[in-house]
Amino acid sequence: MSLDLISFIVLGIITLVSGYLVVASANLMHAALFLGLSFVGVAGIYLVLGAEFLAAAQILIYVGAITTLIVFGIMVSNLQDLKAGGRGVWARVVRNLASFRRGLVPLVAAAGFAILMLVIYRQSLWPAEAPPASGSNLATVGRLLFTEYVVPFEIASVILLAAVLGAVALSRRDDQPPAGSTGQAAPAAERKEGR
Amino acid sequence: MQLEQSLVQWVGNLYAAGLSWWTSLGIPEWVWVALMAVLKGVAVLTFLLLNVLFLIWLERKVAGRIQRRPGPMHHGPQGIFQTLFDALKLVIKEDIIPSQADKWVFITAPLVMIAPALMIWVVMPFGPDLIARDLNVGLLYVSAVSSFSILALIMAGWSSNNKWSTLGAMRSAAQMISYEIPLGLALVAVGMLAGTLSLKGIVEAQQERTWFLLLQPLGFLVFIVAATAEINRAPFNLPEAESELVAGFNTEYSGFRWGVFFVAEYANLLFMAGMAATLFLGGWSGPAFLPPFLWWLLKTYLFVFLIMWVGWTLPRIRVDQLMELGWKFLIPVGLANIALTGVFVILT
Repeated sequence: MSLDLISFIVLGIITLVSGYLVVASANLMHAALFLGLSFVGVAGIYLVLGAEFLAAAQILIYVGAITTLIVFGIMVSNLQDLKAGGRGVWARVVRNLASFRRGLVPLVAAAGFAILMLVIYRQSLWPAEAPPASGSNLATVGRLLFTEYVVPFEIASVILLAAVLGAVALSRRDDQPPAGSTGQAAPAAERKEGR
Repeated sequence: MQLEQSLVQWVGNLYAAGLSWWTSLGIPEWVWVALMAVLKGVAVLTFLLLNVLFLIWLERKVAGRIQRRPGPMHHGPQGIFQTLFDALKLVIKEDIIPSQADKWVFITAPLVMIAPALMIWVVMPFGPDLIARDLNVGLLYVSAVSSFSILALIMAGWSSNNKWSTLGAMRSAAQMISYEIPLGLALVAVGMLAGTLSLKGIVEAQQERTWFLLLQPLGFLVFIVAATAEINRAPFNLPEAESELVAGFNTEYSGFRWGVFFVAEYANLLFMAGMAATLFLGGWSGPAFLPPFLWWLLKTYLFVFLIMWVGWTLPRIRVDQLMELGWKFLIPVGLANIALTGVFVILT
């Protein structure tokens, strides 16, 4: 039993349990926070595997940006059933496991997925050794992004830019002057009149 | 310099001797490694807590002098033991959890706040050999770990079930998301210039050339403004604007939990000042008459004082000014700085 194996088991349990709690908890805010915890667990597994760059990117994007965005979205939207199930998550877990529709069916689906993954895992050839020490990790990623994967990389950036522009276009209203075009003279009071 | 190196060597020898003694007892090696990791964590925590105690006293003294009053004067010379007694008082105070609060999120929020504030010190180079772990993705690690604190602030504000807390949390989320971008842009330019993201490598690159403050004046400007906003210091302390929001996101916190938020805040202040010193003032490098660690400490406290000075001099800015400064000034300047740095790197 090495430290790597123990860390892997602990992180795996954290990831799986919090992943289950994302779908099991009735409180949307708790679900979002468990989602963040499960992302952290995955990042920890990346670290154990020596992929430091991937782990840092995982934390930065999934925990720092996506989870925060979800939590922020929940906070600004007016959800009535938000406080429905503050307590008794574990009671719900037990109840869900006992019921057919919410316990057995997802279990069967998950088991099927696990068998599928196992079959794929047994059939393909996997690199038997760990990749060389993570010292050149970052340089390798950078070089690959600008040589072999330059086209997908550029396409992804154009798609993201289009999404940003689309979000701005959707959230902007035409019946009011664009906010801030007058600089200092457009404080909150003026925007309130526009509504 | 000699003293510090021999000290590091002595600790290294002690570690190796302990390891061989430990394995001779028949206990696996990883237990020793894990124990030593815990010991290192305790050492970092002690160093940080001592610094935080001093920082709080310094803040009160600086604020006092700027407002033409002496600041704390009782308990020791110049009131130096004031924060120690304040901390003791906080520890023995009653722990109040509001009945309408979301209990578990309320309890976890200070932990989510303090853990990254301690984890982030892993990559800080205090001296040529005094670095816990020299990650080759150091700068990325810093921005990744510091992004946890947004989540902690939202958790604290939302779970308190109090309008001041929620407003403070919303403000902090908007502010920190906005200012993370210029901060990242400034870090990218530094990484381009140094050719590495490892903080040790950045210090060594500055020894070869010159301080990055001289090569990256725009980047430094963006970094120091964005860093001040990122750690919620005045004039960007909107999340806890005491004149409008009582205490912002931590209104409902009391006693030890509130103290944890306070410690995390000052630990982050020290870290950002240390980052500014490491990235732009050459970190631990300096003339040999002082050991490297003292150079690091001096430069860091220079930036700590600068941030406090600005904070107690300027009034707090409005929310719309905050957003305009971030999105319409810092981000374009940061992008232009990256382009300029690219040209500079190609030319030299």
